[in-house]
Amino acid sequence: MVLWHNNSHTFGNSFDAVTIAFFNRYPNPYASHVLSIDTLSRHVDEDGKLVSTRLIKKMGKLPKWVKPFLGKISESWIIEHSVVDTKKGEMLTYTRNLDHTKIIKVEEYTRFERDGPDTHVKSMVKFSSGFGIGIKNRIESWSHEKFNENIKKSRQGMTFVLQRLDLSLNETST
Amino acid sequence: MGNVMSASFAPECTELKGKYDKCFNDWYSEKFLKGLSVENECQTEWYEYMECVQASLVTQGVKPALDEARKEAPFENDGKPVDP
Repeated sequence: MVLWHNNSHTFGNSFDAVTIAFFNRYPNPYASHVLSIDTLSRHVDEDGKLVSTRLIKKMGKLPKWVKPFLGKISESWIIEHSVVDTKKGEMLTYTRNLDHTKIIKVEEYTRFERDGPDTHVKSMVKFSSGFGIGIKNRIESWSHEKFNENIKKSRQGMTFVLQRLDLSLNETST
Repeated sequence: MGNVMSASFAPECTELKGKYDKCFNDWYSEKFLKGLSVENECQTEWYEYMECVQASLVTQGVKPALDEARKEAPFENDGKPVDP
């Protein structure tokens, strides 16, 4: 069973600032469930793109209907791949959960594109579950709700970090 | 980038992570984004941090799933999902 949700947004910030904010997006007040983030690998590839892999640990926030199958889950792990292409003005990111993937797997593909002084962001999120049709409706409404909530929070978090970044840049230059 | 740093999953690595992140942020914003450097200039910080992280990862149950996921190449289709 697979479901897709899409969303796009424009930040009134430069591509450079948005990518810095992406790498520094935790901690922020809208992501209190994020416990840690670690870089596991990072290199500049032959085309001059920066390729990174990071590991994120979150407090588990799974839907109630999952509990009979999983019991009480207190945390989950997320992998994040990213590629920054400064020539093209593009950053691609991909995240997915590492555990409990048979019950629910949430994959997010995001493209950040330079658009003059702004940055355009497009996200596609794929929810897949090993569960069949019986539970489909519940996953459908839960995933939709979860998607909207997550997108809102991650935008608020990025905006918060961008503002903090602006402040620290202004401090440095004055 | 300010002084707000997130934690490492392994508390004993958080300090080394902070040093690496600071070095990375300086390099990234001052050099990489400006096209001035494609060299990793945070080698010392990186190796110290990685040594700590690798040792701590071994004790985490996530290691097998992580090793599998690190082999993924999600951007091969120009960053788009293969079956949207």
